[in-house]
Amino acid sequence: MHAKKLSFPLAVVMGAALVLVLFPVFWIAMTSIKPPIDWNASPAIWLPSEPTLINFQTLFNPDAIREYGVGGVSQAATKSVIGSVLASVVSTALSVLIGLFSAIGITRYGSGSKATPLIILSGRMFPPAAIAVPFVIIFSNVGLTDSYTGIIAIYVAATLPFSTWMLKSFVEDLPREIEEAAMIDGRSRLAAHLTVTIPLIRGGLFATTLFIFILNWSEFMFALVLSYSNVSTIPVQLAKYVTATAGTLYGVQAALAVLAMVPLILAGYLIQSHLARGMTFGAIKK
Amino acid sequence: MDDRVGIATTVDAPPSEGKPSGGRPQGGLGSTAVARILTLPGQVVSIVVLVVPLMVALYMSFTDWSPTRSSLLDAQFVGFDNYSDLLIWDTRFVYAVVRTLLISAVCLSLEFVLGLGLAVLFLREFRGKSLLFSAFLTPMMILPVVVGYTFWMLFQSNGPVNQILEFFLGSQATLEWFRRAPLAILAVIITEVWHWTPLFFLILLSGLNSVPENPVRAAVILGANPRQVFWRVVMPMIKPVIIVAFVIRSMEIIKLFDEVYMLTRGGPGSSTETISLYIYKLAFNDFQLAYGAAAAFIVLVGSLALVHLLLAPVRDQLLEGGR
Repeated sequence: MHAKKLSFPLAVVMGAALVLVLFPVFWIAMTSIKPPIDWNASPAIWLPSEPTLINFQTLFNPDAIREYGVGGVSQAATKSVIGSVLASVVSTALSVLIGLFSAIGITRYGSGSKATPLIILSGRMFPPAAIAVPFVIIFSNVGLTDSYTGIIAIYVAATLPFSTWMLKSFVEDLPREIEEAAMIDGRSRLAAHLTVTIPLIRGGLFATTLFIFILNWSEFMFALVLSYSNVSTIPVQLAKYVTATAGTLYGVQAALAVLAMVPLILAGYLIQSHLARGMTFGAIKK
Repeated sequence: MDDRVGIATTVDAPPSEGKPSGGRPQGGLGSTAVARILTLPGQVVSIVVLVVPLMVALYMSFTDWSPTRSSLLDAQFVGFDNYSDLLIWDTRFVYAVVRTLLISAVCLSLEFVLGLGLAVLFLREFRGKSLLFSAFLTPMMILPVVVGYTFWMLFQSNGPVNQILEFFLGSQATLEWFRRAPLAILAVIITEVWHWTPLFFLILLSGLNSVPENPVRAAVILGANPRQVFWRVVMPMIKPVIIVAFVIRSMEIIKLFDEVYMLTRGGPGSSTETISLYIYKLAFNDFQLAYGAAAAFIVLVGSLALVHLLLAPVRDQLLEGGR
């Protein structure tokens, strides 16, 4: 098959789909570089009258926007950016590490109880708002409310099914004989797994890590109900901006949204061939 | 064959030990000990952070506890009162359930049709295919909160959606998207469909690409027209993949919260309130924690039953065809 042009009607369908898919992304990107005068214009302005990075500066220095005669940004987003990075990176590392061990254990030794999938499925299907309820109670009894430790614990638990099953599907793709050869050479089981299995699924590990990072970075509800003053993440900060200044600070809000979005889009493109595998718990390996 | 689907099937049987080909390790720990070491961390995390809270929530759902009381242990045991109140008297809950199911059904149907259409287009080779493929995946990589916020901007009464409508239909097309219930629900549906159609597209394309050529060729030789080939040969073959897509999406859309929170907060009134949003308001606005926990268990049992039903017809096929 050599690539050729699409026939005209198909090209039109494809073009229309592309416009629909990209328009919201275009809109938020444009809004993030609009000066205040364009933010709430009627009729809406599509392209900034004068592109500016002031909205991004304002996120880290709320007074920056004053040179445009606009106040009202009460809070810098700095803490939430740091918080998002901290919570996502640490919980991703833990989730992938624990998931890797479980994946090898389940694939090579058939361990794990019969009830495991049901329990994990239940955990995935239980409304998060309600999972948050017992956590609020338990955390207040053990002093983990409004702490990154608490948020990280929940993120690890929430993403563990994804990391375990995604990695399990990569380990399954690896012939058992390779590890067995290493064991015959006199290596212990554990050493064989650590020195043979893990290096061979490097690509899978990388994809899983980015996939879990996307999930953690996107999480909103747990952070919303378990954070008060110490802890913040970008999604929570965005919700706060919108609540506090409904419909007046589009530019600054959009800048934060773009900041949240860019790393994930990059990560997503990097691992796009593994997205189906991650989303379907390894059921679809392509 | 090992099981291809981690969800909803049991874990593989242990491989038989001591096969002639199986290398016996010379030193170190036995296989049982290694297996324990490997799976222990995951089990500990699951039990501590998943099972324990679930148990606490289950216990709580049978009490009348609220944060004003001293401790959960002092709460009055009320049996199934919370459950019966929810199912019989709480019309807001029943509406939230029905609304969530309706939104889910509409969204999943649209996502499936659109995703399948796009996937079929992508079966042929054309210039710029890989670039377009990446472009079409973009929405599913964006944070739900950001998607919700973006569409909230788009649907403002002086926003671009109304502008485009006015351009084509004149000034009577200025719609107050968030002030009228049907429009607000439509906004939620449009947002969801935009966000998650790419996932159907991705999964279905992967399924279509894995259809073997021989049966298709045979059908063509036997005189089937393209439409017959598609519906009678190709579609049955990708049925397991379709079901996987539906199960995964159902599990997620039942929990719909982030986008709606940013778009409408459940408004106007409670006309776009989803189950998750209602439970959130019960627990964190009205502090009716026990009642909210009961609501969550009703939802859990319902969704498990739903997934079970969905998976039943293809459970055996999934083991073979989930690639």
